[in-house]
Amino acid sequence: MGDNIYLPQLARIAHIKEEVGGERAIKTFRLEFENGGGFEHACGQCAMLSIFGRGESMISIASAPHIKDYKQFSIMRVGRVTAAFHELAVGDVVGIRGPYGNSFPVDAWRGKNLVFIGGGCGLAPIWPVIQTAVAQRGNFGEITVFYGGRSPRDIMYQAELEKLRGAVDVHLSVDKQEEGWNAFCGFVPANLMDKEPSPDNAIAITCGPPIMIKYVIENLRQLGFKDNQIYTTIENKMKCGVGKCGRCNVGKDYVCVKGPVYCWDDLKGLPAEY
Amino acid sequence: MEAILDKKNLNDWIAALDGWDAYAPALEDGVWSYRPASANAALAHPNTVQPPKGFAFPQREIFFRFEQIKGEAPRLTPVQPEPGRRVVFGVRPCDGRAVPRMDRVFADHVDDGYYRARRKDLAYVGLACHKPQSRHCFCKSVGGSPVSTEGLDVLLTDLGERYFALAVTDVGKALMQAGGALFAKAGASERKAVEQAHAAAVAQPQRGVADAAAAPAALKAGFDSPLWEELAQGCIGCGICTFLCPTCHCFDINDEVTGAAPLKGQRVRTWDTCQFPDFTMHSSGHNPRDTLGSRLRQRVSHKFRYFHENFGMLQCTGCGRCVSQCPVGIDIVQVVNRVAGSI
Repeated sequence: MGDNIYLPQLARIAHIKEEVGGERAIKTFRLEFENGGGFEHACGQCAMLSIFGRGESMISIASAPHIKDYKQFSIMRVGRVTAAFHELAVGDVVGIRGPYGNSFPVDAWRGKNLVFIGGGCGLAPIWPVIQTAVAQRGNFGEITVFYGGRSPRDIMYQAELEKLRGAVDVHLSVDKQEEGWNAFCGFVPANLMDKEPSPDNAIAITCGPPIMIKYVIENLRQLGFKDNQIYTTIENKMKCGVGKCGRCNVGKDYVCVKGPVYCWDDLKGLPAEY
Repeated sequence: MEAILDKKNLNDWIAALDGWDAYAPALEDGVWSYRPASANAALAHPNTVQPPKGFAFPQREIFFRFEQIKGEAPRLTPVQPEPGRRVVFGVRPCDGRAVPRMDRVFADHVDDGYYRARRKDLAYVGLACHKPQSRHCFCKSVGGSPVSTEGLDVLLTDLGERYFALAVTDVGKALMQAGGALFAKAGASERKAVEQAHAAAVAQPQRGVADAAAAPAALKAGFDSPLWEELAQGCIGCGICTFLCPTCHCFDINDEVTGAAPLKGQRVRTWDTCQFPDFTMHSSGHNPRDTLGSRLRQRVSHKFRYFHENFGMLQCTGCGRCVSQCPVGIDIVQVVNRVAGSI
């Protein structure tokens, strides 16, 4: 990027996978840098993606840092730019700048049990951590993944989640009972209370809709998790990614710089403006 | 470096600044604004309606142009600020104090090349205030002064027929040296006169924030005060308080399309404001600051609390524009005093 921090690199869409259909569809895009470009990233960081003529949107990087050939993004169709992404095809070229934000302190968690709790599109930001922990399986204790969607059709990364089984305990859920669904029925926070993961030597990492995160944190504390054992990510509207444009401002923090990853011990002291 | 400049030599000094484009306040259509300095510039202005912040941070800035033939990779052509040294005359001390605050924002974390490119070639020649520019001024209560040199390269003080010129920075010294013999040595009597003028200026009464040092903690304690919504009741969300603020720096980035086949356009930064509801609205519809009160609280807390928590100084310099130009009379001094006084 050199001196021009707002000039994106170019990346070509190498692969598109439809994760979830319907009104709030999710597609996963694999981007390969053009012209020998690229950047390294850490678990939890984001990138500003753009479609020229439409604009930019901050999206969390869903591929693990050790994957160097491409960067992956799971994008829900909600706004102007994300809707335009859903119209793109393999081979199309988009803009990308970053990486932005802080990251999950994965190295500091060695030897600990990891409990992941995701909902909806919120599996994407924590997916690099799950992938990293599985790739270094011996460095961590028990790994448990809770993940829920509205219905079986809203479960993203279905095949990848199945592949985790064996190395990782996977507990899926859907909001309402449907025929053929054999796992838990109910909201993600309820599934958490049903399985009662132990707080001993554990770190809980949660991401999902704000209302889910709220109840997940309440339930984790009921289960005995201390505030410094709970991590989450927050997403606010962003434009610059470098702590200047003011949009993601929560208290004294710019989420694009000080976040998106927060330990609940720190986040609870900030205004709840996210 | 201190020196005396006869007022009648001001324009000769401006003309002698070789390689600099000079700007000075001019009255156009009843509004004082910074304009390219005319051959008979005179520094006899009340403070300008717009602060000089646009010299380093223009309201609109093109980052790059894009062109894309369907099915092909886009071509991006970066746009850089036009080079050239500019000197702004007649900057009031409150607006001077805004300069280091903006410098912090644009250099913090990642250096903004656009801001830096303009800023490094900018100089500010300030003009001390003998009396408050309007009844809305409150610089003294926020750590400033009508004769502050902070952020300025030269401070001029009006001594009747002459200016007492003080070089604050090396750039300011060079500007004064470029004036050569137009400047006379300052003697003891002029030094005494300027001291008296400054003392008299500082002694002028002003309204103000009751306890600025306590404001960061008081606004933190008053975060959930019902006063925020009450005081924001009249707000029409026009954002003029932020657009005219010398230290507001929030911006938007958008693509402007100028042609369809091939696709042509540009990515543009424009000033934006935390007072617009969609400033923070997520595409899901969720809005973290969804009420007038929460947006007033954001503006005031940013100036008097968050900026202080990050940089150890208040962001407000007390120029009073957000008060004088607000169409519904929302007054940041009153807001801080009432919230702080309620806890």
